[in-house]
Amino acid sequence: MESLFYIAAVTALASTVSVVTAKNASHALIYLIVSLLSVAVIFFLLGAPFAAALEVVVYAGAIVVLFLFVVMMLNLGKGSVARESAWLRPNMWILPCLLTVPLFLGLVYVLSGQPVQTAAAMVGPKAVGTQLFGPYLLAVELAGILLLAALVGAYHLGRRYLSERREEV
Amino acid sequence: MNFALSIPLEHVFVLAAALFCIGLTGVLVRRNVMFVLMSLEVMMNACGLAFVAAGARWAQADGQIMFMFILALAAAEVAVALGIVLQLSRRFDSLDVDAANEMHS
Amino acid sequence: MDALWLIPTFPLLGFLVLFLSQGQLPKIVVAIVGAGSIGLAAIVALVVGNAFMDAGAEPQTQLLWTWMRVGGFVPEIRLYLDGLSLVMTGVITGVGFLIHVYATGYMWDDHEEPEGFGRFFAYMNLFVFAMLMLVLGDNLLVLFLGWEGVGLCSYLLIGFYHRDPNNGYAARKAFVVTRVGDTFMALGLFLLFRELGTTEIQASLVAANIAWPEGSTMATVIGLLFLGGAMGKSAQVPLQTWLPDAMAGPTPVSALIHAATMVTAGVYLIARMHDIYIISPEAQFWVAVTGLVTLLISSCTALVQTDIKRVLAFSTMSQIGYMIMALGVGAWSAAIFHLMTHAFFKALLFLASGSVILALHHEQDMFKMGGLWRKLPIPFMSMLVGSVALAALPLTSGFFSKDAIMLTAADNPAAGMVFWGGAAVAAFMTALYTTRMILLTFFGEAKTAAHDSSGWNMNGPLVVLCGLALGGGWFGLGIVSGVLPDGGMTTHDHFSQIALVTMAMPLVGILTGWFVFGSSRGDVTQLLGTVFSENVRRFWYSGWGFDWLYDRAVVAPFVALARMNKNDFVDLVFKLAASTTRGVHHVLAVIQNGRLRWYAWNMALGLVVVFVVVMWEVMG
Repeated sequence: MESLFYIAAVTALASTVSVVTAKNASHALIYLIVSLLSVAVIFFLLGAPFAAALEVVVYAGAIVVLFLFVVMMLNLGKGSVARESAWLRPNMWILPCLLTVPLFLGLVYVLSGQPVQTAAAMVGPKAVGTQLFGPYLLAVELAGILLLAALVGAYHLGRRYLSERREEV
Repeated sequence: MNFALSIPLEHVFVLAAALFCIGLTGVLVRRNVMFVLMSLEVMMNACGLAFVAAGARWAQADGQIMFMFILALAAAEVAVALGIVLQLSRRFDSLDVDAANEMHS
Repeated sequence: MDALWLIPTFPLLGFLVLFLSQGQLPKIVVAIVGAGSIGLAAIVALVVGNAFMDAGAEPQTQLLWTWMRVGGFVPEIRLYLDGLSLVMTGVITGVGFLIHVYATGYMWDDHEEPEGFGRFFAYMNLFVFAMLMLVLGDNLLVLFLGWEGVGLCSYLLIGFYHRDPNNGYAARKAFVVTRVGDTFMALGLFLLFRELGTTEIQASLVAANIAWPEGSTMATVIGLLFLGGAMGKSAQVPLQTWLPDAMAGPTPVSALIHAATMVTAGVYLIARMHDIYIISPEAQFWVAVTGLVTLLISSCTALVQTDIKRVLAFSTMSQIGYMIMALGVGAWSAAIFHLMTHAFFKALLFLASGSVILALHHEQDMFKMGGLWRKLPIPFMSMLVGSVALAALPLTSGFFSKDAIMLTAADNPAAGMVFWGGAAVAAFMTALYTTRMILLTFFGEAKTAAHDSSGWNMNGPLVVLCGLALGGGWFGLGIVSGVLPDGGMTTHDHFSQIALVTMAMPLVGILTGWFVFGSSRGDVTQLLGTVFSENVRRFWYSGWGFDWLYDRAVVAPFVALARMNKNDFVDLVFKLAASTTRGVHHVLAVIQNGRLRWYAWNMALGLVVVFVVVMWEVMG
């Protein structure tokens, strides 16, 4: 069973790297879905089936699809790939990697100093639900308000002729 | 049913750290807003992974709850951000994040 | 007795109503509230005063609340009623009410400040409240609060016609000059508290009598500091320069604040603290000298003024000089008596001059008046009555009080004849300038057309005040005699040589005035026509050059100093802080370039740095 974890992990890493490096937005989104699905597998293996389900349904199903809609609305033509190539010169990777690689190595160093532990327990949807609507009730309400605010904001920002209409007034 | 047999917690964390760092690299490198946003999603997903793993280690539901909040946050963020992207492409006819620096004094 | 607290409460309520309504009330309501609140206070004062006299004139106190408790320092808001404060309260509410009624007519169609009707009465009510706290407070702190309160109202009302910058300047001058006196007053208060450990007036007087022997230096110092406070408030030399300029305010204000009540606060203060002056004859002597000097200087100045209100202002200064001198020579009751009668006849004179000024459309120059006695019979009669009382013709109210003062002054062991002689000369001058004023204003040929537009609310108070100015002297000295030492009575009987001369002085003055001004109808210059007399006239006209002197000695150096220090050197410290901030801002503004990726970059960099630091700490 551990092997399944490692397979998923490698898949996730590979697909994520592809997301970041892809030149075509649609391809990147497909890679992102793969990455999210493999993380869902890992969630499942970690004994969090509810989280795994949410990862598939909300992340891969809703959020990424939202991205896809926008990509379609933007109607990126063939020129977009060429433009990405122009923006993404190889030497641009050097400096960010100089930042992130030490960060990663530091994290690995910190983690390697700890005694080996196993993630073992199974936490079902029921336990999550009782916790969520018990001690975390207020946070749930706040999340609801946040989503409502986002809804309003998105509606406002998404209006087609925002600027023109303002000029009319 | 218990799949969580003997996956070392450190490995999960290393995976999360790797995903996070890849996402961060993407945010820093990419100029196209869409890719920046995708990289942000990757970073948030990595955080969620770390939460869930920690929750599994202590057999607590809190990790998954935090993941759900991250999910809600991501949904909200994406909704607003994509609205902004649409406006950006309309106004500047470009998806370059550096195009929108009009607030520069 | 329990109604005592109501006396200051009515004016306060009136002020609050008028102030909070922000001029939204109709004029008639403003007039009823503004004058009515003072009227109610006057009625309560009458009732309280009657009860007080029936109860044998025993001093009574009423504790309202304790202000604060700071260790042993527990000032209480307590009202104190004795003969002295009763006289003051009666004058403030009674004369104040008449002036308020008069003001409802005077200010009704004010064309300079048509929106200011409510504001005017709000300030006036606040003034009456503050003045009542001043005289009723049993604590020097409460007294000081009222002291500053009346100063504020004086400032606000002098600058009432604020559209003219000159009036604002006059208001500021009054405020700043009296502030000099207030500083002395505050210092005296602090010193008294340090020495005696209390600010209660009665308690401190008792303690002072125990603590200080006769002629004690501390008593002298405190007495002189309080005298400084009185100088500022009561416009005595050398802090008198603000009063003539204070005539910029509306005439009822001049009548109420700058003649009848506020300027006599200094007299009240010294009378209230009389024990200290009895302990220190030296301080008391200087009180008398102050009064005498003011008396002479202002009488001379009044003789050559052309503005009718300025004549009255200088006359007020000289009459307060009489009171202060009376305090200085120990004629305590006579001083308060003169305060009361002066309030009657000077308020009358101011109000009558207000009627004249209004009838002439705000013409104040006496040389442009004349021949008004036929057109303005009531103001003329009032002015005449006020003038004879001011000149102290026998049997008018001013005669009784001034006579008592001068005869007591003659008894003064230190320099009795000097005080008496000065006062007699000033009495002559008073009669002289009064005659001049009447002749210039009401006789001769008419130079400006007059429109008598005063109604019953302006003429009524004039008539009542006429009665008081004539008959006020018959109230006698009885009210205050219980509080203050001596009754102002002297060893001279009324037919001794000195008494006869005293009595004759005003008559001589009037006759001289009639002879001099009645024929030539000009000022003294035309009569004498020499360079010397012209110079004297100029010197007197300018108020003995005090304004000039202060301008050179105080204002000019101060302005020069301020100009030198235009770029305030203390400011450099703060400017350094500002320029540092601005410099840092310029540096930081460079990074604030609006580029999203640049921000992300820096966030990531910060993240790495923080991470490294934390790891360093944790991992050792």
